Amino acid sequence: MELSDFQSWLLNEGIRADLDVITRLSVRNELDNLEPTTPALSSEAIDWPRLLFAGSILARSDQRSDQEAALRIATAAISLANKAQVKDAGAVLLGKLSNFRAIALAIDRSLLAADLNGRLGVALRLEAQRREMDRSILVQSSGTWLQVNDFQQRFWTNAAENGWLSASAPTACGKTFLVLQWLIDQVMACETKVAVYLAPTRALVSEIETNLNNLLDKPDLIEVSSLPLPDKYNAARAGTKRLILIFTQERLHLLANVLGNKFSTDLLIVDEAHKIGDNQRGVILQDAIERATRANPNLKAVFISPATQNPEELLTDAPHGVETIAVDSDTSTVIQNLIVATQVPRRSKLWSLTLRQHGSALQVGTLHLASAPVGYKKRLAFIAAAAGERGGTLVYANGAAESEEVANLISQLLPKLDNNDSELSQLAELARKGVHKDFQLAPLVERGVAFHYGNMPSLLRLEIERLFRSGKIRFLVCTSTLIEGVNLSCRTIVVRGPRKGKGHPMEPHDFWNLAGRAGRWGDEFQGNIICIDPEDKQAWPDGVPSRSRYPIKRESDAVLELGDGIVNYLYERGRSDFSSIEDADKFEQVGAYLLTTFMRLGSLSKANIAKRHDTASIAKLDEALRILVTHIDIGVDIASRHPGVSALGLQRLLDAFRNYKGDVENLLPAEVASNDSYDRFVTIMERINKHLFLAFTPETRIRLHALIVFKWLKGYSLSRMISDSIQWHQDVGRTFKLPELIRGTMELIEQIARFKAPKYFSAYMDVLHLYLREIGREDLISDGLDIGTQLEFGISSTTLLSLMEIGLSRMSAVAVYEKIARDDLTKEESIEWIVERIDQFESMGIPAIIIREVRERLTLFND
Amino acid sequence: MLAKPITLGPMHFEKRSDAVAYLKDMLHRYDVGDKVSEKDAVILRAALEHHPNSVAKIGCGIHYFSVRTADYGTKCFWVNRSDGTTEKFSITGSIHTR
Repeated sequence: MELSDFQSWLLNEGIRADLDVITRLSVRNELDNLEPTTPALSSEAIDWPRLLFAGSILARSDQRSDQEAALRIATAAISLANKAQVKDAGAVLLGKLSNFRAIALAIDRSLLAADLNGRLGVALRLEAQRREMDRSILVQSSGTWLQVNDFQQRFWTNAAENGWLSASAPTACGKTFLVLQWLIDQVMACETKVAVYLAPTRALVSEIETNLNNLLDKPDLIEVSSLPLPDKYNAARAGTKRLILIFTQERLHLLANVLGNKFSTDLLIVDEAHKIGDNQRGVILQDAIERATRANPNLKAVFISPATQNPEELLTDAPHGVETIAVDSDTSTVIQNLIVATQVPRRSKLWSLTLRQHGSALQVGTLHLASAPVGYKKRLAFIAAAAGERGGTLVYANGAAESEEVANLISQLLPKLDNNDSELSQLAELARKGVHKDFQLAPLVERGVAFHYGNMPSLLRLEIERLFRSGKIRFLVCTSTLIEGVNLSCRTIVVRGPRKGKGHPMEPHDFWNLAGRAGRWGDEFQGNIICIDPEDKQAWPDGVPSRSRYPIKRESDAVLELGDGIVNYLYERGRSDFSSIEDADKFEQVGAYLLTTFMRLGSLSKANIAKRHDTASIAKLDEALRILVTHIDIGVDIASRHPGVSALGLQRLLDAFRNYKGDVENLLPAEVASNDSYDRFVTIMERINKHLFLAFTPETRIRLHALIVFKWLKGYSLSRMISDSIQWHQDVGRTFKLPELIRGTMELIEQIARFKAPKYFSAYMDVLHLYLREIGREDLISDGLDIGTQLEFGISSTTLLSLMEIGLSRMSAVAVYEKIARDDLTKEESIEWIVERIDQFESMGIPAIIIREVRERLTLFND
Repeated sequence: MLAKPITLGPMHFEKRSDAVAYLKDMLHRYDVGDKVSEKDAVILRAALEHHPNSVAKIGCGIHYFSVRTADYGTKCFWVNRSDGTTEKFSITGSIHTR
């Protein structure tokens, strides 16, 4: 019998009965409000020595199911058994699995006595010590040794080589922490002067920036920034301070545009790299990677993705001769219990819970709800409130509106907290002052419940996440934002019929990206995923998905694989006005990318994309693109500066400028202080829609879009924009629902002012500058902050920019700016202003969380 | 009724309705948010001086004219005063009422 056969026999027959008992017991321990079992379940009859021995054999397997069983046995021995020797043996087994964090957790929870090694016999102690040494890595910058798991070790060893690396591992594997450590090491101890860390969302950018600042113990040697400003880059290249830039792909392009030919990065880290497949922004990411590679062909690139099928896919675009390696791991560091909840027939308050594992089902028990749940939102809310009563419970809602409703329902089932927690009160204060006095979030967080979605201001969202991690917020209802790049894990996740975006059922890999958040390594031994109504075809059209890993596929490749759609689109784009073209959202970005690539190389057959598609389709695309470029005389440089914006659109805009009969000064945006500013934005948006791309839709809402852009640039706070909107509705006698109005305002800011406007306005300005040079009106070109950066951050005054350069979130920067009289303060002057008055901030009515952020930034600065 | 001629700066119109038509043409050459050119501003200034409330409309002095949004999705001329205040005015209001 081979070892693998033996392992498989053990799992399926040898220890099955005992394993089922400990599994049921340990899963039941995870859930609240279960009905007692008859007869009572007990671990007394478990033959622990036999089970632990089996566990040590299973630990040697590389099969996920064997590893999981070994982990289950080890944690059960520690938490269920009474004898100290059995607990110790469980800890030794965890050591064999290189799960040192779980041992530390057991000691922390007093499940295990400290000084485990001291209690082991000589042989075991030697073995344990050798393992700890084998599984340690040296952090050069600090000279300390770090205990790691198998994945972390392989990452560290392989990342030491030059070349490109793509690493994939499940969520709770300590990826981010390790990569940040490694990044600091690279920048401190190696030749890296400028490193760029790409993250797909602004929320993740803020989070990484904060984590990195916390990890850095030598801030005087390394600068960390998320602002695409040239000063710090120039300083780093001049050799004063090394620089780590944390950017979204859009911000990387903004910086590269400002720097022009000077731009070059030594190291590029791409987090959540599977987002290269995202609709519309995936190709912008691909373009950013290619742009960084063109600027420095010797660039070292590291890609990180959560449980993907094919991490090596990202390496196929490495320049010729560059070494590449994929580091892939599927081992689990925490046990994940997939539990389905089905109503007991005719007993609406009783729900039967079943554990699904590797094709088998194990009855766990019956959950008792406080009230009968009518409708699916109540089911979601009541089951979450009952099963996850002890907290760390994440509930997945389809959309922002639903997340608010479900959070509200959960809060009604919870007792009001007796003593007001100061951190929760401060969060409620921020919600009331920073958004609106009646924003639903405020009373909810006072009860330890919150909701969370993408368009929320980052300061608010990060604080919600922080208090959820710390346990003060016990229930968090979230939306698909969570799978769009937020590092947040939980103890229990409750879900029913999850959809991604607007209405599409989740693909299995998306579901597992979400489910993978259950189980916080180092905080818990297990994570639970509770799926409600598994047999309901509406909720789960294809049933509850089996475990699945994410397939990486570039957006550009996916669009090409659709067949002739993109070729037809390119022909149409050349011929007609685009208001009549269908599927523009699907094709425009990739079409723009292909066109620019063609302009650069003269044929797609010389591009990376030709490696992945057959010659015939590439030839067809080449043919279509060749016709398009006959209409284009703008250079490839300007097209490269605006990924996702078609060179054909840029050309048409230039033609429109050339045919413009009025005074050219009217083509420029008016200063936001001017009375003309808002109306000028209306006209610019109309021009963009007509010539560049139909970006601001529906066209009947252009005025609203222009108003939002205007106020955003003017430095208005979110709360002011909301109260203005309420005032407008009241003035014109329109009815409104407050929660909708609040969400709508947040959405307009994020989607219009911070996403579409910067993208298309900066293209507009670039083409305009080209035209102004053409007609000898360089005098109209200002060398101030470009409009893209102004819009991304919502700043048009020097003071506001200075405040953000200190590292404040926009919400904090605006709150402070509202108190500052002058609009031309430098960074140093702003700091001086703050230092003089910070003790009065509270009496000025500035929310406590903002004061805390200001203090933190100042400390960082003074260091 | 006899047609009343009107002179607006360098322009002379035999009928007031001609002046209105001229100014409306001028208005439509502009997009919202545009600053009115110096040449057109001379005529607008003269028109505004005809306005029954010209003293109040002009206030502390004219800085420049713009075309901006008016009610119900239309556009009209606005006077921007030296003190930063601004006010819209109607073409027909300036020409016909006196």
